[in-house]
Parts: sequence; structure tokens; C-alpha cells
Amino acid sequence: MNNAENLRLATELLIHEGRLLDQRDWSAWLALYAADAVYWVPAWRNEGEETADPEREVSLIYHPQRVGLEERVMRVRSRLSVTTLPLPRTTHFVSNVALVPRCGETIGAQASWMVQIYEPRTSLQRVHFGHCEVTLARVEQRWEITHKTIHLQNDCVAAVLDFYLL
Amino acid sequence: MTFAAAPTLNPQNFIDDRPHDGVFRVRHDAFLNTALFDLEMTRIFESTWVFVGLESDLARPHDFVTTQIGRVPILLTRAGDGTLRGLINSCRHRGTLLCPLRKGNQRVHVCHYHGWQYSSAGRNLGITGAAAGQYPANFVDDTHDLLSVARIASYRGFIFASLCDAVPTLEEHLGEARIFLDLIADQGPNGLEYVPGTVSYTFDANWKFQFENGLDFYHFAATHSSFVQILRQRPPPPLPPDLPTDLQDPDPQAQGSYSFPYGHAVTWSVGIPGQGAERRPLPRDPTLFAQVRARHGATRTKWLLRQRNLTIFPNLQIVDIQSLQLRVWQPLAVDKTRMVSNCLAPIGENNAARSFRIRQYEEFFNPSGLATADDNIMYAFCQAGYAGATRGAGSQGYARGLGERPAQQRHDAAELGLRDPDWAYGTLEFGDESCFHAGHREWLRLMSRGS
Ligand code: FES
Ligand SMILES: [Fe+2]
Repeated sequence: MNNAENLRLATELLIHEGRLLDQRDWSAWLALYAADAVYWVPAWRNEGEETADPEREVSLIYHPQRVGLEERVMRVRSRLSVTTLPLPRTTHFVSNVALVPRCGETIGAQASWMVQIYEPRTSLQRVHFGHCEVTLARVEQRWEITHKTIHLQNDCVAAVLDFYLL
Repeated sequence: MTFAAAPTLNPQNFIDDRPHDGVFRVRHDAFLNTALFDLEMTRIFESTWVFVGLESDLARPHDFVTTQIGRVPILLTRAGDGTLRGLINSCRHRGTLLCPLRKGNQRVHVCHYHGWQYSSAGRNLGITGAAAGQYPANFVDDTHDLLSVARIASYRGFIFASLCDAVPTLEEHLGEARIFLDLIADQGPNGLEYVPGTVSYTFDANWKFQFENGLDFYHFAATHSSFVQILRQRPPPPLPPDLPTDLQDPDPQAQGSYSFPYGHAVTWSVGIPGQGAERRPLPRDPTLFAQVRARHGATRTKWLLRQRNLTIFPNLQIVDIQSLQLRVWQPLAVDKTRMVSNCLAPIGENNAARSFRIRQYEEFFNPSGLATADDNIMYAFCQAGYAGATRGAGSQGYARGLGERPAQQRHDAAELGLRDPDWAYGTLEFGDESCFHAGHREWLRLMSRGS
């Protein structure tokens, strides 16, 4: 498969992922991830450097298996968490997608992202933005995310940070 | 329903404290009044001991961190001679912010506006173009060193500073709450450190909600029910083979609190199912844990494996539960607060314990964790709800624990060497609220002191 095809695939998948989150189609969103997918949002060591080693440094979110994301989805669905009463409305944007060299039968890509967030209860609006890297692996007829690292630039967030706000 | 008139700004009007009648109330508008908030900055945060940092964060000469006390920017340094300095982070020339960075190591701090220079001890090392400046004699005679905080002192690695000189010694200020700082410090035979990755966040509510909530066991089951549900459906995580087998707390299930002069308090619990000592990071490094045990003995080890939430008034909470968190708050407005959260760990802890500690910390704390995010939103709900119809009536949220004490009262003060603390003791469903009183009483004492 050629690079142009890989780039198209990665771009479409990232756009699709954002749309699923905006539509709150949590099941379809989870299905984009492999069962052993790593989902990682590093914290910041200081003004200029993020933490780089999840075993020795703090991350904002680090799930070495998809089950961590499944639990977060369960929490949203339970309607027990006040962070979801009501759920914020989001619009995900992704751009500047480029391929990153990977070995083996995987596709690596990086991108810039932004999420516009609106809270219906307070009418307050905010934005999260940053970069991300994904690795995609082929499983039979489809591509799954096996690794996603989300770099959040404005890390002093207001009250809540969760998968649907990234 | 009748509405009481809004009180004048006399702080006495906001708290109704009648211990002998079993009454303790705080008016809701103590959390809403902007003039009162300004007074809190002056009379509380800028007038008493405030936690400013950890000594291990300033390990080498010329290390610095920047922070804030009330509205005042602070440059905390370790000077060349090894002493700690609490400097006002404001150039003596025009008052510009001197150091714009969070932390680092610098022998000399140069003001970027006109180039005045200061040593890491705050001494003025040079005034740009002084000779050509046609300065008057009184200027030459004046000191040009950075201003300092009035007091700075550290207790077992925890650094506190006060902008006001009229405070007791730090030892007296901490009082017997010191023993609960000991139970934190004792966990690090080689000292404690922040795990890299400080997390800051804000919530849209008054800082006193955080102060109270950090002592509030009552909210856990309701506010964090989605988290509890997640824990329940998980298969029990396997225990490491080298975990010590004698971690069981010998005492019955219980929850209690101690309160101290100057506003500090701690809540503790024993025997929450699924959250015993085997789920704590400390014993996961068997070598380090053996050292702790040998040095501090069975009773203190028992206590340092218990869940403890410690509040050192007015701005510090150390939460020692599934993991160990140190958090401080910086009030930004009457309805906005910034939190700074760090994972605290023994220096030299092994990899397995460290990574377990970090996962447990991330899962619970911070806006990205499964519990703290709920608290943050709950504070905002409180801020919105407090403006409601009960406004004049005062809260009903300070009464648990004020009634008659249970027959089998037991509070273990003696085994910790506590002499005469205020205490409360009950079942795991107790949810004491009398432990909030000390902070509000200190609030009233400081607010009534005048500036
Ligand atoms: S304000 Fe600092 S040198 Fe002028
Ligand atoms: Fe909580």
C-alpha cells in the first residue's frame, strides 16, 4: 500500500473518531481501538516539556488497555457522574495530518487537533487543543488504533478532562 | 420562608458557633460575597502561615520555584549558603515580575525590564548604569534588595511562609497536626519528592468548598457513585507475590477525625472493603516498607497505612488514600479557584511501587481522574445553589457529629501521642462534619483580627 493511501486512511480515521465523539456514539468509538490499545495523555513536567515515561512520571490519562476507556464510557452512560449532567456539546477538529515512519504492517500518523466545548448548564465555552500521534494496525478487513498519544497544550483545564473533551 | 437581611461585613455575622447548644452554622453568602473574599486575601492568606513548597523541590543551592501567597508573587529559593529564602517576586525598581518561570536553578536573577540583578538570596548585585543615573543621596542609602516574606520555616521538608510577622512559630501553628505531617514524612526514609508532572486546574467555585470537601467522607458514596460502580465491576486486581502478608489493621472498621487549633483537621478511616493496606503503594516496595516499619514501629505503621485526609489551614491538603496526593489551592476570585496537584512519593522507591502509585493517583485525582472531576463540578453546583432560597438561613451541613457520642467511643489519640485533640469517631457511614468547624473558627479568628 502506498503512502498516499495510508495518509488518506489515517486522515479519515481521525476525522471519523472526532465525529463519533461529537455524536456520542461511544460503542462505535470504542470499536476503533484494539483491545490492547494504549491511550495516553501526558502531563507537563514544566512549561516546555511533557512527561515522557508513564511508569515514572504522572500522566493526565494513561490506559495501557482499552478497558480503561470502556470504564470511562461506562461512567458516562451510568448518568451517575455530575460531570455528565449535562454532557458538554463538542465539536472535534483535526488537521495537518502527516505520516510518521513505522516499522512492520502498521501506519503511523501525527495530526493537530482542537475540540470546541460548550456547557449547556452555564453557557460557558472553552477549547482544548494540541497534537496527537496514532498507530494503526490491520486486523482482517479493518484498521484499528493500537496506540494514541494526545498532547494537550492548554493543560490547566476547567474542572473536567475526559475522553470526549480530547 | 423569611430572608434575613444581608449581613454587614462584620465576619462575626457569617458564623453561628454555639457549641453548648449543638449549633454550628456558616451563612451561605460567606462563599458568595466578593468584599468578604478580598478581606480573606488580606486577613487570611496574606496574614498567616501558608504552605509554599517542598524542600526536595529546592534540593541544590540556587534552585528556585515561583508561587503565590494570596495575591503576592513569591520567588522561593535555596540561596548559595543553603538557606531557604522566601522572596517577593517583584523587582525593586518598578515592581516588575522578576522571575517568570515555574522552577529552575539560577545564581543570579536579572530583571528583564532594565536589567537590575539579584542573587539567589535576594541581594541586589547591580543597578544598571547606577553611576550615570544622577541618583539622589537618599536613593544610594536605600536598600535595593528584594523584599522578603515576614517568616519562612520548614517542618520535615514541608515549607511554609507568612507575609505577616504577627504569627506564632510554625511549630505552634501546626500544633499536634504535626503528628499527621509526620505520618506522611515517615513514609520516605530518604525523604519525599514530587513525581514529575504537576497538574493544575480550576473550578468555578469558592476555595472553601475545597477546604470542606477534603475533610468530607459523607459525600463519597453519592458524589463518587460512578467511580464506586467501576471499582465494583472490576475483577479483583492480583496482589504482587512479594507483598507483606501481615498488613491487616487490627482495629475494627471505623471513621474518625481530629481537629486542632489554627484550623487544621484530619479525617481517617479503617477497613473500607477493597481499600485496605494491600491496595496502598507503600508496602509495594517491600525493602523500603521494612525500613519504615523498623524505624517507626507497629502502631505508627498501622496509622500510616490508614486512609487519612489532612488539611493544614488555609491552603494545603494531603490526601493519603489509594495514592498520596499533595494539593494546594490558590483562590482567584470569590467563585474561581486554581488547584495545584502533585503525586508525592518516597525518594528511591522501586519501579513497581512507583508505577502502581502513579496509576492509583491518576485514576482518582485531578480533572482527568474518575473522582476529583466530580468534586470540581459539585463545587460549581454548590456555588450556584448557595445563591438560592435558603440564603439567609445558614447551612445544615455542619451538624453531623454534634450529637451524642456513641457508647463505644474510641479514638486512639493516646497511641499517636496526641494530648487533647478535638475528636469524633463513628462507623464507616458516619461522615463527620464537626471536623470542618476548626477551619471556620480559624477563619473567624483571622478575619476578626483586622489588617
Ligand atoms: S523594573 Fe526591574 S529593572 Fe526596572
Ligand atoms: Fe470527593
